[in-house]
Amino acid sequence: MAVQSNKKADCAPLVPGPAAAVASLIVPGLGQILARQIQRGLILLGSVITIIILLAWRINLLAHREIGALAKLGKALDRRPFFILFLIICTVILWLWIAWDAHKQTRPGKQGGLSIFVLVIVIFFSLGWQISQINLYKMVVELPDALPPLSRVLWPWKAAVTYNTEEVGAGADILIGCDDNPPPPPEEIPSKPYLMAEPTCGELSRLDENNKVVKGSILTLTGRGFAPNMETQIWWKDSIGNEFRPRQEGKYVSLKTDDDGGFTFKLIMPYRLIPPSAVGKQIHRVEARQVTQVGGPIASDPLKLTIGRMAETIFMGMMATLFGILFSIPASFLAARNLMSGSWITMSLYYLTRTVMNIVRSIEPLIWALIAVVWVGLGPFAGIIALTIHSIAALGKLYSEAIESIDPGPIEAIQATGATQLQTIMYAVVPQMIPSFVSFSIYRWDINVRMSTIIGLVGGGGIGFLLVQYIRLLDYRSAGIAVWFIAVTVATLDYVSAEIRARFV
Amino acid sequence: MFEVKNLTKIYDDGTVALRDISFEVNPGEFIVIIGLSGSGKSTLLRCINRLIEPTEGQILWDGTDITAAEASELRRIRRQIGMIFQQFNLVKRSNVLTNVLAGRLGYVKPGLSLLHRFPARDREMAMQALERAGIADQAHKRADELSGGQQQRVGIARALMQEPRMILADEPVASLDPVLAHTILGYLEKINQEEKITILCSLHYLDLVQRYATRVIGLREGRIVYRGTQEEIRRMTDEEFKEIYGEEAERVSAGLKEGGT
Ligand SMILES: Nc1ncnc2c1ncn2[C@@H]1O[C@H](COP(=O)(O)OP(=O)(O)OP(=O)(O)O)[C@@H](O)[C@H]1O
Ligand SMILES: [Mg+2]
Repeated sequence: MAVQSNKKADCAPLVPGPAAAVASLIVPGLGQILARQIQRGLILLGSVITIIILLAWRINLLAHREIGALAKLGKALDRRPFFILFLIICTVILWLWIAWDAHKQTRPGKQGGLSIFVLVIVIFFSLGWQISQINLYKMVVELPDALPPLSRVLWPWKAAVTYNTEEVGAGADILIGCDDNPPPPPEEIPSKPYLMAEPTCGELSRLDENNKVVKGSILTLTGRGFAPNMETQIWWKDSIGNEFRPRQEGKYVSLKTDDDGGFTFKLIMPYRLIPPSAVGKQIHRVEARQVTQVGGPIASDPLKLTIGRMAETIFMGMMATLFGILFSIPASFLAARNLMSGSWITMSLYYLTRTVMNIVRSIEPLIWALIAVVWVGLGPFAGIIALTIHSIAALGKLYSEAIESIDPGPIEAIQATGATQLQTIMYAVVPQMIPSFVSFSIYRWDINVRMSTIIGLVGGGGIGFLLVQYIRLLDYRSAGIAVWFIAVTVATLDYVSAEIRARFV
Repeated sequence: MFEVKNLTKIYDDGTVALRDISFEVNPGEFIVIIGLSGSGKSTLLRCINRLIEPTEGQILWDGTDITAAEASELRRIRRQIGMIFQQFNLVKRSNVLTNVLAGRLGYVKPGLSLLHRFPARDREMAMQALERAGIADQAHKRADELSGGQQQRVGIARALMQEPRMILADEPVASLDPVLAHTILGYLEKINQEEKITILCSLHYLDLVQRYATRVIGLREGRIVYRGTQEEIRRMTDEEFKEIYGEEAERVSAGLKEGGT
């Protein structure tokens, strides 16, 4: 009886309901603590404090230039009215709810109730939404801008091939500043393209005192014998041989030949400064050029580079796996409890190995790559070192677990036949180890190749290196080729490794 | 030919598994060791070929003390003593033939055997052993594809490959159903009688003990508490059996009848 009443006294609230409510109104959670719901009270108090701190921080960030709390609040409300208002209202509701909850907690049998925590969680996630800068509006609005580069990444094959090109063209001399004896039109050679300008002299465009362009003379260009229906570029060559493509209304001048390979086109003579030191007659030249593809498609540089880097990547993964396996075998023996339980020396070695492995394994290969880059410099070797270090720890753990789980039965059976230690290992231990050994090694190879595709991001060689370069150059097609190669390689590897593992287990 | 003298085994954790065990074995006997779970049967059998190091006492094999044997001598003695197990202890991923050939490991040159090469004579012998056990057609299957009864036959074939003079059997039929238990023990009995191979076997069921034992040793808490001849054990009632064995004891025949055989 005594114990029972004691227990009751333990659970009984220290204050009546209204008092608890008032206490919680002053300090959220205090009422619950007084109602002997200490954990609940502390959690609520902690939540309210955290919410207010986070909210104050966000408001301050939104209005960091304002001085004074009210001014800050006003500015923040101005910038994010919905978010700030919502959170303030929620917080006030929470505060009141906590007071009411404190009142409820004093009544026997009515304790608990988790709905209040739903509100707490809602507030935290709303804060989280703001703090992590989620912006769905931006996502939608900026999608159209993202589509062209995205489509280039998704279908990059235009950049995978190039063609050898050949230039055919014809030109005509133009005299700057007409005089009595302008150059004659060029002679026509049969079966060669031919260009004629009319007239063969004129004034270049120039700038007047107010930097306004004064248009030059208009030349009528007539072409014959070009490839039909093809884009044709107009080039200008000045008297000392510098050539450039003139622009008209901001665009390079180009035209399309008709069905017979001819054209007529009116060209405004371009702007070109004639140095005062120039002496004698200034003869320029206008040319029409066509660039044609010769031969079949050939692999483009990005494609060649990607293939090379992909091979590098796969071999990086393979080498790292090989080294990882070689080093992790001895390590796994040290980390196998059943082999090391002999004495306290071996046991402490076991714990040491385990601890080191766990630490090494918990550091991502990318971080190891950063360290390795400092050590051996940029390039695949750094990547191999990083992956090897991580592989040793990861494989060492897996192998040691495989060793720990081998069945001792066959070992004693083979020992009982009078076999030597070595024979026992070959006949009883190795066959039991093979499946997990093969499966873990293949799995690791898979992971390592995957990892080596991104280890280049931090300078560890491989295709990732190429990928970041293309992305920084905004060369989305080439980046797309690299992405495709990575995806295909990883998928193939996934399939192959699953297949091999299924065979062996 | 074989004698255990004052054998004691104390495990590292202080468990006394065997206390002052002494008995003698004559060639051709089928000795059954009975006792409650934990009474020390497995420990005793494993001390004999030193899979477990005995703490004290002697085990004499043709006058040689096994407990004092050097590694190479121990291996020579081990190869004359076959062993079969409750869990068969086959190398599950190796095929049946390899498992059986493993019985020759104590005889072959170590170098070649590491490459899984065995003399042609040994291979023939293995096929004969499988034929005798009635599982020659399974020779190239993986060991774990066989049924329990077949696996135990492989275990016995492996032991026979040692051309043993004695076979230690640690509850060889405890994981098999009653019908199979009789077939396997019958097979051991045949080996025992036809080839005069001594058998030292631990068993659980009274009727199996009565049917096959030529002599019985009862263990309790590591001590020998019962020694009986074939006649004595055949006259034994369930009550006497339970005295040594405890309440767990049961007859396998009950199971047989339920099985409808
Ligand atoms: N490796 C070990 N370390 C410590 N104690 C052990 C070890 N192996 C067995 N024992 C103990 O020694 C005693 C005898 O065990 P043993 O396995 O020989 O019994 P058993 O008669 O074969 O039992 P069962 O019928 O269950 O197989 C038991 O008390 C057991 O707990
Ligand atoms: Mg046992």
